Amino acid sequence: MPQIAVTGAKPAVLVIEDERALAEEIRYELQAEGYPVALAETRAEGLRAARAGGAAVLVVDRMLNHEDGLSILKALREEGNSTPILVISALSTVDDRIRGLKAGGDDYLVKPFELRELTARVEALTRRIPESRATRLRAGPLEMDLVERSVRRGERRVDLLPREFKLLEYFMRRPNQIVTRAMLLEDVWNYKFLPQTNVVDVHIGNLRRKIDAGGEPRLIVNVRAAGFKLHVDD
Amino acid sequence: MWTIDVLRSRAFRLALAFALAIAAAATVVFTLIYLQFSSASEQMVGARLADEATRALVENDDELRAQIAQRLASDLRHLDYAGLFDAKGALLLGDPPSLPPIRPDGRPHLVGSVAARGAGSSDQAIFVAVRRADGSILVLGRSLSEINDLRGTVARALALALAPTTILILLIGAFFARRAQRRVGSIHAAIAEIMKGDLKQRLPVMSEVDDLDRVARGVNLMLDEIWRLLDQLRHIGDDIAHDLRTPLAVARAKIERGLERGSTIDELRTAMADALNHLDRSAATISAFLRVSAMESGRRERSFGPVDLSAVCAGLFEFYEPLAQSKGVAIVFMAPRPTLVRGDEDLLREAISNLVDNAIKFTPEGGRVLIAAAAADGRATVEVSDNGSGVPPQDREDIFRRFYRGARDGAAQGYGLGLSIVAAVAKLHGFCLTVEDNAPGARFVLRGECLDFDSDEAARDTGAAGPKRLKASA
Repeated sequence: MPQIAVTGAKPAVLVIEDERALAEEIRYELQAEGYPVALAETRAEGLRAARAGGAAVLVVDRMLNHEDGLSILKALREEGNSTPILVISALSTVDDRIRGLKAGGDDYLVKPFELRELTARVEALTRRIPESRATRLRAGPLEMDLVERSVRRGERRVDLLPREFKLLEYFMRRPNQIVTRAMLLEDVWNYKFLPQTNVVDVHIGNLRRKIDAGGEPRLIVNVRAAGFKLHVDD
Repeated sequence: MWTIDVLRSRAFRLALAFALAIAAAATVVFTLIYLQFSSASEQMVGARLADEATRALVENDDELRAQIAQRLASDLRHLDYAGLFDAKGALLLGDPPSLPPIRPDGRPHLVGSVAARGAGSSDQAIFVAVRRADGSILVLGRSLSEINDLRGTVARALALALAPTTILILLIGAFFARRAQRRVGSIHAAIAEIMKGDLKQRLPVMSEVDDLDRVARGVNLMLDEIWRLLDQLRHIGDDIAHDLRTPLAVARAKIERGLERGSTIDELRTAMADALNHLDRSAATISAFLRVSAMESGRRERSFGPVDLSAVCAGLFEFYEPLAQSKGVAIVFMAPRPTLVRGDEDLLREAISNLVDNAIKFTPEGGRVLIAAAAADGRATVEVSDNGSGVPPQDREDIFRRFYRGARDGAAQGYGLGLSIVAAVAKLHGFCLTVEDNAPGARFVLRGECLDFDSDEAARDTGAAGPKRLKASA
């Protein structure tokens, strides 16, 4: 039975994946990001490890050697286990995705995926906090009033278009967290496809120009091969 | 060993049951005829005897004796009885030799056994006895042997008729059973061929329209569809092989060259980054292939609902506006009214987004892209046009083919993937997708059936369609 040793500062991740090579790559990437990782290869092994506790996030392959990975989700949810679960799958239609989320998945990633996309989503799940009812958000020098729909950086007022406001709000709710293009498309635009052009980057560029005026340090930074991050000092 | 199979077959069993039923029915009919016939004959004989006896009562003694003698004399077959007995029952004249055990009431009576006058006489007879005025008793009778003979004839006729009928029915049953068996046999043979992998085989269909033919026709139609799908699958396989091998071969070459000649970390990095690019391309190709195939298999209709294409275009306009601006391309949006269609909003958005994506990509700085949606005369139209390089007439058919990449420059990469998804989405919705000359540039048009804005379904599910939209930016 896989044991999860809580060593680093980051919470542990249990990866239930029957393809050894992919599982090892996922482990390598997550460990490089500082997550302790446990691997399970079968449905039974995975369920045992999940029930044993210790993992803050589960990564579950939907198809485990002809076993249904979604049944793990169902079983855990029925037992009242609410650990966030990222489903990875070779099935990509919207129906498959809806089925995966309905079974208790919190996010859904289609193979083949970039490993940075996976780590970004795992990070998002570990930090998942319930939508707060606060009317003001604060991140570093940025301050956002959700009622007045106004943004200030320090003393300076920043005028944003509605879409830019929504985009910045998304970042401010996830300070210092990697946000991928796919996450932005899904969550900010509610689009379920990846455009072939760098249209998201252009939106980010426009937003940046407005919040980083005249030599101020860049707040939304590019993360190579992954996406973006609102970088603030806590 | 077809005989045993024939005997076991349904048709033959049916024939057997039929023959039994006919035999039973015929037996019942013959029995009824037989019973009616015998009772009617007995009644007739009895009535005639009673009449004669009544008539004889008035005759004088001599006449009666003469008549009795004549009656017996003319009865060559010894079927008639005529006798005169005295009041004590002793025979005075004629036949039978002793007085039958009946009352002299002038009514016919059936007597079980009578002492025979001649050989071969029947043991059954009908007698009528009358008492004359002088106390003597006149007895008239007639043997039933004739009637009994007739009964035997009827029974024989029944047996004779039933046997050939039954045999005939069984023969016909066997004939049909064998025919049906032959057809089932040929169908079995065809199925065996199909199971061996020869999917072009079809079940034999006779010209007639019976149950078996209808089933065979149904199965044949099913086989046609399976064949079509398999054929499609084979083509997809070929396409995938072709479209995947190219980027894989390039990626492989890059890695190989990096391994052989790369002497610095930077050279190795460049080689690997190039290889990764090409691997990503093949992954994107697989995903697109799978999506297009899933769409073409047409199993998504249940997610269809009313979609306002004007609203979809408005969202995409807003989404792409910054990109166009950054490229120095003017983008114009026109949709005066809601354009309602029945479809899958996510897929339609993706399709139109691909068109807009392409349009912006292929339009040089200073150019213009138009996104328009309109509904007129029950037709919904979405147009995405640009004044860029356009699509040469000879390529206009090909660009919608799966994963076609026109003879465009490297910047146009991904063009084929996008358009094949647009084509698949259009096909799934029953929309017509065309590309026209925008002189200069290309104009892609999606045309489909429009939903009535007042329809219940539309009114229920779509509320966000504003009355008038016209936006432009540069």
